[in-house]
Amino acid sequence: MITDESLTELKAYFKDIQISEEDQHHPLGNSGRVTIFPKTEQEILTVLAYANTNGHSVFIMGGGTKRGFGGMLEKADILLTLAQYTGIVEHNPGDMTITVKAGTSFQEIQTYLARYKQKIPLDPYNPKHATIGGIVSANDSGPKRLGYGSARDNVIGLRMVYPDGTLIRSGGKVVKNVAGYDMNKLFIGAMGTLGVVSQVTIKLRPIAKYESILFVSFPERNVEEIRAFAAKVLDSMIEPITLEILNPSLAGNLTNNNQYILLISFEDVKSSVHYQEDFIKKIIPDKTTLRSLSQNEAKSFWDHFYHQQPNGLINVTTTEAVLKIGVVNLDAIKILQEAELIADACHVSIEAHGGLGTGICYLTIRGATEDILSAIQHMRKSAVKHGGYAVVKHLPFSLRKEINVWGEKTAAHFLFEGIKQKIDTNIILNKNRYVGGI
Amino acid sequence: MSVLKIDTTDKHIINLAAIVGGPGSILYKTADLLAYDCDGFTIHKHLPKAVVFPKNTEEVSKLVKYCSDQGLPFLARGAGTGLSGGAIPVNGEVIISMVRMKKLISVDLENRRAVVEPGFVNLKLTNSISDRGYYYAPDPSSQYCCTIGGNVAENAGGAHCLKYGVTTNHILGLEVVLPNGEIIEIGRNGVLDEPGYDLLGILTGSEGTLGIVTKITVRLLKNPEGKQTVLAYFDKVEDGSQAVSDIISAGIVPAALEMMDKTAIEAVEAAAFPVGHPMDIEAVLLIEVDGIAAGIEEQINQILAVCKKSNVREVRAAMDEAERGRWWANRKTGFGAMGAISPDYLVQDGVIPRSKLPEVLKKIAQISEESGLRIANIFHAGDGNLHPLVLFDARKPGEIEKALEAGSLCLKACADVGGTITGEHGVGIEKREEMRFVFKDVEILAQTNIREVFNPNNLLNAGKLFPTPGRCVEIKKEINAK
Repeated sequence: MITDESLTELKAYFKDIQISEEDQHHPLGNSGRVTIFPKTEQEILTVLAYANTNGHSVFIMGGGTKRGFGGMLEKADILLTLAQYTGIVEHNPGDMTITVKAGTSFQEIQTYLARYKQKIPLDPYNPKHATIGGIVSANDSGPKRLGYGSARDNVIGLRMVYPDGTLIRSGGKVVKNVAGYDMNKLFIGAMGTLGVVSQVTIKLRPIAKYESILFVSFPERNVEEIRAFAAKVLDSMIEPITLEILNPSLAGNLTNNNQYILLISFEDVKSSVHYQEDFIKKIIPDKTTLRSLSQNEAKSFWDHFYHQQPNGLINVTTTEAVLKIGVVNLDAIKILQEAELIADACHVSIEAHGGLGTGICYLTIRGATEDILSAIQHMRKSAVKHGGYAVVKHLPFSLRKEINVWGEKTAAHFLFEGIKQKIDTNIILNKNRYVGGI
Repeated sequence: MSVLKIDTTDKHIINLAAIVGGPGSILYKTADLLAYDCDGFTIHKHLPKAVVFPKNTEEVSKLVKYCSDQGLPFLARGAGTGLSGGAIPVNGEVIISMVRMKKLISVDLENRRAVVEPGFVNLKLTNSISDRGYYYAPDPSSQYCCTIGGNVAENAGGAHCLKYGVTTNHILGLEVVLPNGEIIEIGRNGVLDEPGYDLLGILTGSEGTLGIVTKITVRLLKNPEGKQTVLAYFDKVEDGSQAVSDIISAGIVPAALEMMDKTAIEAVEAAAFPVGHPMDIEAVLLIEVDGIAAGIEEQINQILAVCKKSNVREVRAAMDEAERGRWWANRKTGFGAMGAISPDYLVQDGVIPRSKLPEVLKKIAQISEESGLRIANIFHAGDGNLHPLVLFDARKPGEIEKALEAGSLCLKACADVGGTITGEHGVGIEKREEMRFVFKDVEILAQTNIREVFNPNNLLNAGKLFPTPGRCVEIKKEINAK
């Protein structure tokens, strides 16, 4: 607990670091009694060492887009925000790798890399505000994961500040590395419960010379037909970057066409993209319609798509929830189908999309608070029935207390607890933000 | 029928035999154990206490529980092809051999996954599904005999991981027997991003020190529609390195980009699969592009142009699948080919940022000169993974030590330019000390702390991966505990 006395001490201790003492109340929680803005890695080390020694709890924030993602405590003593810890540390175009500071926004990095015709092969939500540190910590991924993988496939090195203020490097700068345990994997998706991501080194890909999106719409809402078509696409030699199904609500919002729409996108040399488009045109089922966007139009569509998901920076006027559901690939279509039924039954609106080659679905649920909670429970049951899980990615703090953000513990939970205990012995970092109250 | 019975009074042997169903499933006599005193890293040897052959997860769990309760060190072993000594029983371990757990449990092509037992051989998986147009991507050179369980332990790579990733990128789920005998399942049903710390990620490549994998869900890929391979000869190794950089910089993502130097060419041409490489060149590149057939020609033309710009002596695409096959056979048997020009060899496994290739090759040449030992270089140039092969003669006194020293210096050269000491072979016992080239004590401690969570008594595959005696680490830990 930070008292007035310790605040004075804190300020004296960190005379060069910006500290704000707004006692924030944020509807999404994950706030701090004081907010500290480190500008260097050394300052992050100092703050954590200080907090650890003095028993102060610390929450970590980047751009604030994931403020509604987990967390059962409204406030920590210190909110450590990395918003001022930004910039590119090292970029070797010939090595196709980049090292960046955690607080750098995703879009800023991509804009920089575009000059070299390169990109980070990730497609997180809200790229304008989401920081690379937050994306890695939450293992955020979008539909292009089918083609390029996720953070766990592309991050090759991390500099982590452990809760006691020790710097731990994991991985390195090379694209292939099996020296020691693959510690990167532990920190990716750990929601900041094991350390503060300070710097991220990540593999790059060339920006494809040409890209397009095909929108195949299914007017008859026959999910069996969609599934069969997707299976046919997956069994063919074409190499789509996304194979993402939108439910009618989301399709209506994004394309003014209130039907199930399958987004099949391609990124390759032009001849290859056209060849694949022609292939799809030949095999689409009767009664479906096809529309396509290419190059800048396709890019604009994606830009719009990634910014439609509610996030922690939006002023909360209506209650919104975002649910991430993972199932076996093609079962994503079943999840979307059940979302339709549950939306009706619970009197909520659900905008949903799911990757038919990844099994990862995102659902945005809007409605009255009780109805949203009920819809989340039903969707979780449905996910579990299909052998998967449901995680609440965004929800106001007051409602998070009513449900279990991460779902039931598994038999491996004691290992999670053991890992947390070893690394964050005093439990100062992002307490209760993660699975099973970790 | 042969009448087998246990011919010892050692109670542990008797009890272990009882768990696996009798004398046909255990080896314990010295003569039988000799075959298990090392793996693909043959410089250090040690006899195990016994080798047991469980048939299922329950037996593995019981064996582990028994060893754990009795304080017997133990480790798991697949085909024994590991190159860093990860399966060598340095503490006289009970070896739990996974070779009888070799079933292909299920294949689900629609969802692109298969479930296998750990003893299932890597190449068999691809062979079982190739008629349907699918394959399993990680392709270590030993894929015709190495097991997928071993691949998980070592996070095995291969020539084609440049585009498709290494084993960890293809593992969706695992059933694991923990060092206390408990069975857990992670990545259930192969669903991505299961909530919780990424145990799949930390177990893959943990070299058998965190648990024993008993079931594996792997990702399958669809065969690319087209594939084309280019062969390029360079008079100067610098030109070859430049071509590698330029191909990558041109925005091409080859499926494989391999390089061999002059000494390596001498060996592969003297061995079982010669293809007629000229003997007076300094480097040969093997570049493979795959994907949509319609896009391949453009990429091949670009590659040809890049090579020509880099003063290539000769460059051409394979005429047909047969020629492509010959080129790959020549390359993939490259390590073994060293036997044709040297009685013994030691293979190293450093990785460097691609742009440092010319600099590090020069350094390796210098190490070779100073040690008086020839060093051949075969490497996955596309991802900067070097395999310097130190040639020596173990019969000559002192040459083993000299070879080890030269190998270590090669790794130092890699670490010094921001690289690492192993890209796919693992640390094992071979590179324990070299871990210090890349990690500080606190970083090694951070890793052994994770081991303690899974393997608190360190009975499972102890003495691997981390530097020994590691005294300063141990001391620090004691200080921290106080």
